[in-house]
Amino acid sequence: MQHRLEEMWMIVSVGILVVFMIIIGYQTFAMGMGPPSHSETIDPQKVEETAPFDEPGVFETGENKYEVVMILQSFGFTPSNIEVPVGAEVEFVMTSKDVTHGFQVPGTNINAMVMPGHIQKISHTFDEPGNYLVICNEYCGIGHQAMSTTITVK
Amino acid sequence: MKTTEAIKSEKQLNNDDEKSLRGTLVSVGFVAAVIVVMWVAVFWIYMERV
Repeated sequence: MQHRLEEMWMIVSVGILVVFMIIIGYQTFAMGMGPPSHSETIDPQKVEETAPFDEPGVFETGENKYEVVMILQSFGFTPSNIEVPVGAEVEFVMTSKDVTHGFQVPGTNINAMVMPGHIQKISHTFDEPGNYLVICNEYCGIGHQAMSTTITVK
Repeated sequence: MKTTEAIKSEKQLNNDDEKSLRGTLVSVGFVAAVIVVMWVAVFWIYMERV
């Protein structure tokens, strides 16, 4: 037999879950804030011959819009020392040549797993000037702790 | 609308059962509060950084 108090906490629990799911669903589908995807694939042995990774670098794609085409490998980022202006919306297009790497900028929402064979995309608008640290947050080998670079926002 | 007497007698009927579950309800409520506070905190941090 169901108890009145049991009914109460079941309703509250289900209600909380439903509210969480509605908010996350709205964020993902209506506001475009879904987690970074890796739906595009690439041959990890031919990264340097495959566009756009045959020419890694920082490209201006529109008014204050930039695209960073980046290759990750043990233990570095190509290109390193990226420079973009304040307020720039930057889309990072990344892949790995060897093992799984991470791409994280602490203090921002940039945090993506970059896997060999997959193209990872994540974008961010840099509203504050400064030097942003970029780190690999997936253990990728003996030099993992040294795998970092910076993004300069002026 | 139930009369006051009807509510009273209903309360008496359920009283023993409810007493034994009141502590459980409070505990479950406490766990729910912790979950909600943590979820809202993480959500707030994310939205602050967008």
